[in-house]
Amino acid sequence: MNTTYGIVAISVVAVATIGIGAFALRFSRTTSDFYVASRSVKPWLNSSAIGGEYLSAASFLGVAGLVLASGANMLWYPIGWTTGYLLLLVFVAAPLRRSGAYTVPDFAEVRLQSDTVRKVATVLVVAVGWLYLMPQFQGAGLTVRTVTGAPGWVGSVVVAGIVVVNVVLGGMRSITFVQAFQYWVKLTALLVPLFFLLQAWSDDGRPSPVAPSDWVDPFTTTDGPGLYLTYSVIAATFLGTMGLPHVVVRFYTNPDGHTARRTTLIVLVLLGLFYLLPTVYGVLGRVYAGDLIDAGRSDAVVLELPSRIIGGSTGEILAALLTAGAFAAFLSTSSGLTMALAGVVGQELSGLDRGRQRRRRLSSISALRIAAAASVLVPLGLALSAERIAVASSVTFAFALAASTFCPLLVLGIWWRRLTAPGAIAGLIGGGLAAGLGPVLTIVAHPGGWFGTAMSQPALWSVPLGFGLMVVVSLMTREAIPLNVARTMVRLHTPERLDVDRRDRASESLASPGDLP
Amino acid sequence: MSGSLPSPDGEPEENAPARIYTGRVRVTSPLASAPRHVRRTVRQEIDESTGVGEVYMRSLIRSQLRAALTVVITLLLSLGVLPIVLLTVDGVATYRLWGVPLPWLLLGVVTYPCLVVLGWLYVRQAERAERDFAELVEAVGDDDPPGPA
Repeated sequence: MNTTYGIVAISVVAVATIGIGAFALRFSRTTSDFYVASRSVKPWLNSSAIGGEYLSAASFLGVAGLVLASGANMLWYPIGWTTGYLLLLVFVAAPLRRSGAYTVPDFAEVRLQSDTVRKVATVLVVAVGWLYLMPQFQGAGLTVRTVTGAPGWVGSVVVAGIVVVNVVLGGMRSITFVQAFQYWVKLTALLVPLFFLLQAWSDDGRPSPVAPSDWVDPFTTTDGPGLYLTYSVIAATFLGTMGLPHVVVRFYTNPDGHTARRTTLIVLVLLGLFYLLPTVYGVLGRVYAGDLIDAGRSDAVVLELPSRIIGGSTGEILAALLTAGAFAAFLSTSSGLTMALAGVVGQELSGLDRGRQRRRRLSSISALRIAAAASVLVPLGLALSAERIAVASSVTFAFALAASTFCPLLVLGIWWRRLTAPGAIAGLIGGGLAAGLGPVLTIVAHPGGWFGTAMSQPALWSVPLGFGLMVVVSLMTREAIPLNVARTMVRLHTPERLDVDRRDRASESLASPGDLP
Repeated sequence: MSGSLPSPDGEPEENAPARIYTGRVRVTSPLASAPRHVRRTVRQEIDESTGVGEVYMRSLIRSQLRAALTVVITLLLSLGVLPIVLLTVDGVATYRLWGVPLPWLLLGVVTYPCLVVLGWLYVRQAERAERDFAELVEAVGDDDPPGPA
């Protein structure tokens, strides 16, 4: 690929990202702007931002690569990532917004009145966030190296740097505009080249994919472990979405529960639209770029196709457009994750001495800025030093971890009055250990057989484990049911138009920095 | 209970033999000495977490949970069983429509609009439940005008 075009594409996206962030900075004035964009983001803007943030490198490059390599069975990934939003819509969207809390740890504290649950949840948010950030930085390094020939660390550091600058300068308000812009960049970057590619394929006499039958019809040949893996991916992706920190934090930027639902519905449309495209790239890749599989570079299929099928300067311009889209994917997902992590960690920092809360809160913007830098450094270090793990698997670990911990916490917390703090802690730790140790064991020891299969994709058993522990331990500790559970339920479930008492007398001021003047 | 209101001399009406009073009788409502009935709004009941307020809240939560579980069951019965159907039912996985294998069409295209429709139906249902709840709460004994929607 022509290096100049690639560098220009990456520079344009980077400059536009910083530019839009700086433009939005003019609106970012208050703490509330920084943390939750003053809870005033309209559904269309917000759903574009959610789409922009959610569609990571795994979606933009990874899905086409997976389809190219493994065929129809891989279509479960994008389906799971979309259905996750449907389940988020039906179980948590409106109540989570109405809870008035800002992050999952906040929600846990408001609902269960326990500082310990809050701490455990905070640790897990950071763990999920780092697991998700690391592959983004690695992918960015890979893309920049593919396009420009620069060493791998350049891309990682550039992405991390831009992200920190945006979060530090503009906070959530700024990030919202940047991400909304990046959804449309990604959709355009994938859609426009596809027309040219399909035209060229049509002129070429519409050749069929060269593939073995288990690529076309993997289902007829699937064995037991294969079926287990499929269902495990379904469990992780369907239930993990609602627990991802950068997804959850976005719901607090909606004005109310009603708009939270509208926003989620539009997100479903935007994701469905986007995910129609990578599949076609994967199939075209089977026709024209089958050699990438053996070279172990199937993730690059999206970037490679234009120069292979069309070639010439048209092909290079299209490739540059796709590079821009991929870079937008790294930037937006990393921005969202960093913002979410910084929000959680920043609140812990600024709330260190809770007694003098009100006075300390003045410095919460500085706390957010310090936390943003800190939350990027660790995954950046991991990305630079660790062995490269496939983007899709590292992302799936994050989904499995979120599905085994935060999904039970949110679903039971919102719909089941008898959840107690000890129950929640047991579920978070048990589910978290199960979903966390499985992949580690797989990477370190490579166990074989059924045990190895179950460990490599733990979601199908670790999610029920998380739910089960929470329910059983809660039932054993009935005396720990928070006294104000009825009041919390009123707050979570009554529509805003009803003027009922929503105050949470114990921890209101801690829970929602955005409501402070 | 109106049939068993006590007659002036304290005996239940239905058992009392018909008597004719000739003197002047002071007729008063037995409720006259009862404390004045205070109209309580459902919002107050909810705010004070009384038994009545709890009943209203539980019914709202139950109807919302029912809507959510309907979506989950629909998903389980469609996407959830798809891997097993493709594996066990002969001919489904290899059936071709316009030259494209059926699994590719189902997983790559058809699923997405279906998910959107399912989400749209859910939002309609959930908002209707909330509207009904709000109207019920505002309609029953609410003396204050409802707040701005």
